[in-house]
Amino acid sequence: MTTRQITYLEAVREAMSLEMRENNDVFILGEDIGVYGGAFGVTRGMIEEFGPERVRNTPISEAAIAGAAIGSALTGMRPILELQFSDFITIAMDQMVNQAAKTRYMFGGKGKVPMVLRTPAGSGTGAAAQHSQSLEAWMAHIPGLKVVQPSTAYDVKGLLKAAIDDDNPVIFYEHKLLYRTTDDVPEESYKIELGKADIKREGTDVTIVATAIMVHKALEAASELEKEGISVEVVDPRTIVPLDKETIINSVKKTGRLIVVHEAVQRGGFGGEIVSVVAESEAFDYLDAPIKRLGGKAVPIPYNPTLEKAAIPQVPDIIEAVRETVKNK
Amino acid sequence: MAKEIFMPKLSSTMAVGTLLQWFKEEGETVEIGEPLFEIMTDKINIEVEAYDQGVLLKKYFDVDAEVPVNQIIGYIGQAGDKVPDSSPGMTGEEGTTEEKEEATVSEQQELIPTASHTQEGEKPRATPAARRIARTNNLELVFIDGSGPYGRVHKKDVIAHLEAKTSIPKATPLARKIAQTEKVELSSVTGSGVNGKIVKDDVVSAAVPKEAVALQEPATKRRKMSGMRKVIADRMAQSAYTAPHVTLTSEVEMTKVKELRAALLPVIEKQTGFRVSFTDILVKAVGAALVRHPQVNVSIDGDEIVQHSEINIGLAVSVQDGLMVPVIKDVVSKGLAELTIDAKDVGKRARENKLLPDQMRGSTFTVSNLGMYAVDAFTPIINQPESAILGVGRIQDKPVAINGMLEIRPMMTLSLSFDHRALDGAPAAAFLTELKQILENPFELLV
Amino acid sequence: MMVKTLKLPEMITEEKLKDLYKEMWLIRYFDEKVDQFFAKGMIHGTTHLCVGQEASAAGSIAVIGRKDKIVSTHRGHGHCISKEGDINKMMAELFGRETGYCKGKGGSMHIADVEKGNLGANGIVGGGLPLAVGAALTSKMKKEDYVVLCFFGDGASNEGSFHESVNLAAIWDLPVIFICENNQYGMSGPVKEMTRVENIADRASSYGIPGKVVDGLDMIEIMNSVHEAVEHARDGKGPTLIEMKTYRWKGHSKSDAKKYRTREEEKEWREKDGIKRFKETLIEASILTEETAKQLQDQAYEEIEEAVKFAENSPEPSLDSLLEDVYA
Repeated sequence: MTTRQITYLEAVREAMSLEMRENNDVFILGEDIGVYGGAFGVTRGMIEEFGPERVRNTPISEAAIAGAAIGSALTGMRPILELQFSDFITIAMDQMVNQAAKTRYMFGGKGKVPMVLRTPAGSGTGAAAQHSQSLEAWMAHIPGLKVVQPSTAYDVKGLLKAAIDDDNPVIFYEHKLLYRTTDDVPEESYKIELGKADIKREGTDVTIVATAIMVHKALEAASELEKEGISVEVVDPRTIVPLDKETIINSVKKTGRLIVVHEAVQRGGFGGEIVSVVAESEAFDYLDAPIKRLGGKAVPIPYNPTLEKAAIPQVPDIIEAVRETVKNK
Repeated sequence: MAKEIFMPKLSSTMAVGTLLQWFKEEGETVEIGEPLFEIMTDKINIEVEAYDQGVLLKKYFDVDAEVPVNQIIGYIGQAGDKVPDSSPGMTGEEGTTEEKEEATVSEQQELIPTASHTQEGEKPRATPAARRIARTNNLELVFIDGSGPYGRVHKKDVIAHLEAKTSIPKATPLARKIAQTEKVELSSVTGSGVNGKIVKDDVVSAAVPKEAVALQEPATKRRKMSGMRKVIADRMAQSAYTAPHVTLTSEVEMTKVKELRAALLPVIEKQTGFRVSFTDILVKAVGAALVRHPQVNVSIDGDEIVQHSEINIGLAVSVQDGLMVPVIKDVVSKGLAELTIDAKDVGKRARENKLLPDQMRGSTFTVSNLGMYAVDAFTPIINQPESAILGVGRIQDKPVAINGMLEIRPMMTLSLSFDHRALDGAPAAAFLTELKQILENPFELLV
Repeated sequence: MMVKTLKLPEMITEEKLKDLYKEMWLIRYFDEKVDQFFAKGMIHGTTHLCVGQEASAAGSIAVIGRKDKIVSTHRGHGHCISKEGDINKMMAELFGRETGYCKGKGGSMHIADVEKGNLGANGIVGGGLPLAVGAALTSKMKKEDYVVLCFFGDGASNEGSFHESVNLAAIWDLPVIFICENNQYGMSGPVKEMTRVENIADRASSYGIPGKVVDGLDMIEIMNSVHEAVEHARDGKGPTLIEMKTYRWKGHSKSDAKKYRTREEEKEWREKDGIKRFKETLIEASILTEETAKQLQDQAYEEIEEAVKFAENSPEPSLDSLLEDVYA
């Protein structure tokens, strides 16, 4: 396999392009994805290669384009919908929640909705309250949807391929601040099965389950803590629906300690679900410290950069939480 | 029909027992004589064996529950046998409403741990991992010091406890070597390494003279009383504060006892494999004296004085962090060889915490021998419900006047404490005088 | 046999007209039966009946082919029957039985027959419009040459999804025909109070597509108008918005006291009954006699009775099915 360094953003584009070259049923639709190249430039160059039929620039009509994606999926296409900001899912919510997620079940197992809704999430760009949220827990709550949160370019490419190949509606969260990060990525197409967590760093003293950009913050914290003799294991679930419970449980059984970190507001966040999974599992008997959750503060994301950073967990917060958790090692 | 499992009365003073653990789960088969559960009485921890065989159908109480004697705590029977949902009350009685209420009360009491390491009324704080390891090793969390916040017991605390129990301290090879040359007892050293492992520095600082340590570390250390310590404390205070103690002392010449022991040693050793001790001879002599002075062999029960027909002698045995008083039954009918066997057996069992229930109850008089120390006389506290106790001092060569001549003789002081409620000075003095005479002329024992 | 006396699309034969007459009765009897079962408590949940609106369903779907698709609404039993729906499976679904269209898991509001091109009823007002646009997009992209009839009500025309969807279909020239069954009330809300424009179809001009108001009780006008829109769509010229003025005889759903309208108004509309008008037209055209009309009506009744028996004799779904079909 030939690998080279590409960005997370390029990995998204490459995964889509490879699939679109392979399969005529795959197309992309979304706002400003044509010659503009999408709000973050993910689809730049794609309309030139695939033309306006398969790179469909849409009006600003999130309900209609989400529904159009669903309707086309239900009738044989494999659409990729780019939702410009994940915050806008509020407008597409009825279509995703009441239509896409439920169609197959309501119809008694007939019909399928093989679509991907790709959307940039997260704060850190100064875009303030309506363009910085992490609402993945909403979608994870809905049976019938799958939810992916890749943290690296390598994972993006493999997971997006799996999402496109999947016969169900998949919400694919891309983190804005990760778009420019690079990673070794094979040139050819490959698939990372949905529902397989990745141990991003092995350790023995504490398990950190982190998602999206928090994977990187956790890894940074782990490097710092190594100097203090604390060995941190970082588990990246990569997909929260389906969730790789086994990997998480096994890790906690090994370390006896658990910290869950996500950017989304802690209250009602998916971290609570991960914690519950562990608490209900055989890993409970191996816990040797109270579990900790680190999540966003219960505030809208503020504009001021200092406040914006303070609203979500940062590396020192993770380090502090780890120290507290392993105190009685 | 299902058979009751009940809280056995394992000592005369036992009113409640604390369940330490169940060895069986509901649904498991039980053989007669298999250990079924372990309890802590006011004296000891003891495993209780099944009286019946079948399936353990029901357990009404959990670990840490304090259960009154005779309370039904479970059932053994055949699978499918019907048993009540809650403890029907006392064994041997029809379950009445009243008793059911009583049972409920005792169930509420189970929330109160007898734990010494935990605040009264609180369950021990422990992490799930600590609980799991404690469970698999049959350890009670309440006895383990927690190093976490609010005394939370962590995995490492349980492991440290386990290692302390096995009494082979974990130490690095270097630490062992230094300990050997500096004559430092490793078991007295607190390890600062991983999982409490003793490292070089720990041994070096332990080797520093005590005075220096005291200067360096003026801080006093506190530790919670263990369960046994607490029982001893309660019982001693109870006895000291309820029984007006009077202590009489008398010097006894031990020349003939020494001769007797020297003569019997090879005989008894050959017969039993044990060496007869002065205590054994004392027990025999006390038995003989009590026969002649039955007014000392009594107990107070309410406003009655109970005259015991049997003479059962309790032997105070020092054990780790406490004291136990196992019993030698019916000493009068036993010869010295038999008494030697009994005394060695209960002494060993007491130190190993393996006394049988029957060896824990029924004493009517106690002998406490401190003669192995530089103690001449003392004022022993009565082991209630007995009414008297004999304190035994060391045997020491002393100058005594014999027929106007100063001679050196082996002398021993006896200290008799008696409960002045039960008897008065004269009969007590008469008993002590009798005992002195027997010991100074031990061939009387053969009569 | 071609129909000489009536001006109709080519595919509408005399046989088809007779079938349509019977089909209208099937729809009416089906919903009357359902109404009765609800009243008796034999069916639970809720349902929305299209008694009185048979013509817009039967007439519209009469002029499309098997490969064409429909997207239906919560008041969708008629659409399903007209799109060759299996009334046994429909009735069984309402009974919540394993043999139902949705294995008893969908109920009245989610009956779909994907194989036959019925992309489903929808419990969300306006929820189906974007789906219809998507289905039409597939037709265009895969050159499958089918059209999509998108049914919705006057109430849905005030949903954002209506505007977004009609606009999207318009700019992409998608083969979708938006059919607004204006039955005068969105639940209790009179269309005259909820909409300022005289006709919903007037809104077509906002999206640059043809709009047409049709008498929703006139089968002939319905068939011709929808046929014209379908031809327009097949020619790649994009969507049409057709408004069919109609009336639901029953309340919105069960336990509707219909306080928002008068009995006189109901009587007026009942006299304009679409089935009666269609029968008169067919008798006038010598396609039916009173006698043959009665025979068709009775046959419809028999078939509904059979469907009821089928449903009643069908098994309940197994509990195991609860967790099935969440994901493909």
